[in-house]
Amino acid sequence: MAQPNQSPDLNLIEHLWGDLKRAVHRRCLKKTARLVESSFGVMAELSFNVDHGYLEGLVRGMKAGILTCNDYHNLAQCDTLEDMKLHLQSTDYGKLLSSSEEDLTVSLVDSKLREYLVTEFSCLRSNALPPLSTFLDYITYSYMIDNVVMLITGALKQRDVADLLPRCHPLGAFDQMAAVGIARTPTELYSAILVDTPLAQFFQDAVSESNLDEMEAEILRNKLYKAYLESFHTFCKNFGGATRDIMCPILEFEADRRAFIITVNSFGTDLSGADRSALYPSCGKLYPEGLQLLAKAEDHEQVKAVADCYPEYKIIFDDPEPASDFKTLEDRFFEQEVKLNTLAFLQQFHFGVFYSYIKLKEQENRNIVWISECITQRQKSKIHNYIPIFRGTN
Amino acid sequence: MSSLLRGEEMCLAQLFLQSGSAYDCINELGELGLVEFRDLNPSVNAFQRKHVSEIKKCEEMERILGYLLREVKKADITLPEGDVNPVAPLPKHVMSIMEQLQRLEVELGEVTRNKEKLQRNLLELTEYTHMLRITRNFVQRSAEREPLQVQYEEFPFLEKDTMMDYSSMQRLGAKLGFISGLIQRVKIEAFERMLWRVCKGYTILSYAEVEDYLEDPDSGEPTKKVVFLISYWGDQIGQKVKKICDCYHCHLYPYPSSNEERNDVVEGLRTRIQDLHTVLHRTEDYLRQVLIKASESVYTWVIQVKKMKAIYYILNLCSFDVTNKCLIAEVWCPVNDIPTLRRALEEGSRKSGATVPSFVNRIPTNDTPPTLIRTNKFTSGFQNIVDAYGVGSYREVNPAPFTIITFPFLFAVMFGDLGHGLIMALFGLWMVLYENNRKLKNTRNEIWNTFFEGRYIILMMGLFSVYTGLIYNDCFSKSLNIFGSGWSVKAMFQVWKESDVRGNRLLSLDPNVTNVFNGPYPLGIDPIWNLATNRLTFLNSYKMKMSVILGIIHMSFGVILSTYNHLHFRKKYNLYLVFLPELLFLLCLFGYLVFMIVYKWLVFSAKDSRDAPSILIHFINMFLMQGDAVQPLYPGQTGLQVFLVVIAVFSVPVLLLGKPVYLYWLHNGSHRLGMYRGYERVRRNSEEELYLMRAHDMEEGSSHSDLSSSGECQTEEFNFADEMLHQAIHTIEYCLGCVSNTASYLRLWALSLAHAQLSEVLWSMVMRVGLRMDTQLGVLFLVPVFGLFAVLTVSILLVMEGLSAFLHALRLHWVEFQNKFYSGTGVKFSPFCFSLLPSSFEQDGLLVEGFAQCTF
Repeated sequence: MAQPNQSPDLNLIEHLWGDLKRAVHRRCLKKTARLVESSFGVMAELSFNVDHGYLEGLVRGMKAGILTCNDYHNLAQCDTLEDMKLHLQSTDYGKLLSSSEEDLTVSLVDSKLREYLVTEFSCLRSNALPPLSTFLDYITYSYMIDNVVMLITGALKQRDVADLLPRCHPLGAFDQMAAVGIARTPTELYSAILVDTPLAQFFQDAVSESNLDEMEAEILRNKLYKAYLESFHTFCKNFGGATRDIMCPILEFEADRRAFIITVNSFGTDLSGADRSALYPSCGKLYPEGLQLLAKAEDHEQVKAVADCYPEYKIIFDDPEPASDFKTLEDRFFEQEVKLNTLAFLQQFHFGVFYSYIKLKEQENRNIVWISECITQRQKSKIHNYIPIFRGTN
Repeated sequence: MSSLLRGEEMCLAQLFLQSGSAYDCINELGELGLVEFRDLNPSVNAFQRKHVSEIKKCEEMERILGYLLREVKKADITLPEGDVNPVAPLPKHVMSIMEQLQRLEVELGEVTRNKEKLQRNLLELTEYTHMLRITRNFVQRSAEREPLQVQYEEFPFLEKDTMMDYSSMQRLGAKLGFISGLIQRVKIEAFERMLWRVCKGYTILSYAEVEDYLEDPDSGEPTKKVVFLISYWGDQIGQKVKKICDCYHCHLYPYPSSNEERNDVVEGLRTRIQDLHTVLHRTEDYLRQVLIKASESVYTWVIQVKKMKAIYYILNLCSFDVTNKCLIAEVWCPVNDIPTLRRALEEGSRKSGATVPSFVNRIPTNDTPPTLIRTNKFTSGFQNIVDAYGVGSYREVNPAPFTIITFPFLFAVMFGDLGHGLIMALFGLWMVLYENNRKLKNTRNEIWNTFFEGRYIILMMGLFSVYTGLIYNDCFSKSLNIFGSGWSVKAMFQVWKESDVRGNRLLSLDPNVTNVFNGPYPLGIDPIWNLATNRLTFLNSYKMKMSVILGIIHMSFGVILSTYNHLHFRKKYNLYLVFLPELLFLLCLFGYLVFMIVYKWLVFSAKDSRDAPSILIHFINMFLMQGDAVQPLYPGQTGLQVFLVVIAVFSVPVLLLGKPVYLYWLHNGSHRLGMYRGYERVRRNSEEELYLMRAHDMEEGSSHSDLSSSGECQTEEFNFADEMLHQAIHTIEYCLGCVSNTASYLRLWALSLAHAQLSEVLWSMVMRVGLRMDTQLGVLFLVPVFGLFAVLTVSILLVMEGLSAFLHALRLHWVEFQNKFYSGTGVKFSPFCFSLLPSSFEQDGLLVEGFAQCTF
């Protein structure tokens, strides 16, 4: 039937009530025993919008601004960064790039995009209420870990802190950041500098008296990451509901990815299998058998054999077909991550959308930077190696 | 008038613009705002179009202008009021503007940078003085303590560790260092903690707050700062301390080692600060001069750049012809404006001095043109009400001209009160009288703008409310006795006795007694009803019937308006197969109800009112076809009623099947009937507006080679099932709608009742309380009571009730009236017009533009 242009049926919020009703209906009256539990679940969904509805709506709206395949297609046709700026103006980025006086460079694009992401995130964070605010903080911890390790390695190479600070990811910025370089051992790092930061909780296993060198810094990063992922996983698991359903697979994937990457990167270093296994996050799907096998693995083929036991990782390690473009392992993992994150938007009333949005946006930034890198270096043939988000939408 | 009823007739035209004069021609068109451009290269990306570099240049200029405007705003310089409407600059003049802008930007940037540097310097110096002043206290304190410590050397103080003890440290042979500086107050605690943790207590920190707020150089906000002094042992710890200070963004200043040095430094600082102040003042003055100079022309530039950018955007929409010498643009244009369009192109060519003129060529098209309905300031409000439902399809009957009367009228039926209407009308009148006032016009307050845009609607609603208030005889819930009541109590004393008057609280006037009722009140309801206890019953019956009558008239009018669409689009069969059954159905059932109401009013007078039948019973009996039980209203009633019901019932299948079957026959049957009907078939099947357009074009005699090609894609597939489904839905909707819509019009009664009752309650609960006070204080008491009454009247009765009545009137128009004939599936004509272009600076609040509106 034809509808008038301003019909109430076209109003989004009206459909939300319908969704809510269906959600209640779906969960009701299947088993009497489940009734009580389910009604609690539904109650949580009912009251979800009271505290977090606005932000969920906001983030879904922001998600609509994620570049489509069409946009990427157009971007890939650009000849100069100026062209890219012109095209990005017609997307949600708007005047982002045109407000600067200097000439465009890739690093400027990168920092502008990052700035944009941080503005969006801080808008979400400052409006968030308790459970969600903790969740959002968890997202920032991973960036904090990366920043800490980067600062340590930077300090080891005698780089000036003032040079390093702008290179830190602003999402993981914290007050004590600049002082990180003072520490000489992980213990010192913990007790002197990071004890006040939220990272302190991840230091239980990482405390050691050995001097910080580059290897040690990398080990520290992985140990922190392990503790962080496990803690985040537990948090989401305890939270229950749709948040658990969405976030656990994503975090499990993240944990397994780290395990794989650690193993692959450790070949040719003096990191022993036992040392390695201490770094594997134990919340993934690989835990425990897969991780044991990975600890024993000696070369790439053995890692592949481990992955073959798990259908979701088998495809990542499969040899590329000759017809298709060659993609690095990292890109394949990113691709899989994007796939998982897009799934988060299919359900309502959960926190996963926030995590997924940040991750997708980060991927988008990587894509744009990649494209602009290709443009400036005149590597048109490689320009299509970006990872599109939301393939089906356009 | 025909334009308001149907919208303008539009046509697609091709503009052939000589590439030399294209810019000027588009400029002319932009000033006039006549045409809507179509994108001729939709497949080309924004950055691959022809004039990208020019647009980039414009954007660069916009960026500089934005920077200038921000600086001007920061300096609190008011922009000169801009009534100027400069024309778009010629391409050759652009470079000079660009140069001027760039020069200004560089100059301004340098001066601001200088200023900032000076300010930073000044801040540093002030911080340094603060630091020196405050650290002196630390040292003095410790100096005072010194004798104490000497005294109790055997029992060292706990504080001894935390205070500086220069001599004892010297004894230890360690090197004592000082670091002093300023840190933000919020950070001091964390700073102290980290210092302690990292240096394991080998430092002493003493700090004190600065009383003044110091400006933060990065954010420009005043912040509280703390002066601190750290003393430490050894170089390694010193390095750590320095790093920590860096991490907390402390401003460090050298710590003077002796009192004399300190005094010297303080002295030096004072003179330097004074010098800096004078320099800073000079710089600020100079900056202000630069800005004032810039602000004089910045407004002109903003408009010029905006226009130029718009022109290049339009040029990007055009395509080149084969010879690459002329640009081709396709535009939608009102047919009546084509001469103006021609003149504008001539003017543009003349201005650019082109040898070959640019010209217009009308082309036939299959696309539905956009809808353009010209409005003026009076009709635009009403047109907006209609457009909010849906922009009318091309050349469809536009409900707006009728809405001008019906909307305020239906509103007033619900809002009927003389006093409230008068206030509303005065408010509307005030806005209308001061509509050219800049202050009222250019506010950014959205709520106010809504009212202001609807000022003529408000005025009309107020005036109509005054009228209905007179009819209801309601003024702030009181009645006005202007002409003298038609009823006489005196005459009743022929019947009443002394005991009747004393014994009863309520007495009724009997109109059958002579001289009691001397004919109706000349206008509206007799004021005597204001005293009667059965006033509500009387008014309810009256208002209910009135709303049914108004509703039926309104709906029938809507159905009749649909004939204009059928006739205009040459769908005559719709007249017989849709319009006629619809009208019959409505009139036979509900029209008859109206007839009965009026008949009863006319036939039954006060004398035989006791025998008056209930219309409701009669109406129900009409459907049940059993009129025998009750006395008929008039002879032959049963027969007529059966006849009407039969007609109504029969019109339903006609409505349901007539159109689909007829169309089916037209498409399939006529094949068998052969060629002789061919001409007519083409006539009827052609998409009507297209047909009309083509006919028109041919009359004008313009040659179209592609006429035949466009005709080919016209033969649409006829799908009987589709058509049937559509008609079934329409039928069900209409027949059920007749019942529910009639009931829906009862909201007129309900809201008018609610309004009357609410105003009466307000009077009796507030105003009457004040009037009842019969002491002298009563006068004083009346003042706040009247204030309360006035506030409540405006807030509840005028604003709230007004909004609710407005909403209901809106609904009655959108749903009950417009669904009888209005489809509202058109696209609004949006001409390329400079004055309608949004400016990015306006959104940022940097600029308030007062443009003369375009002719549309």
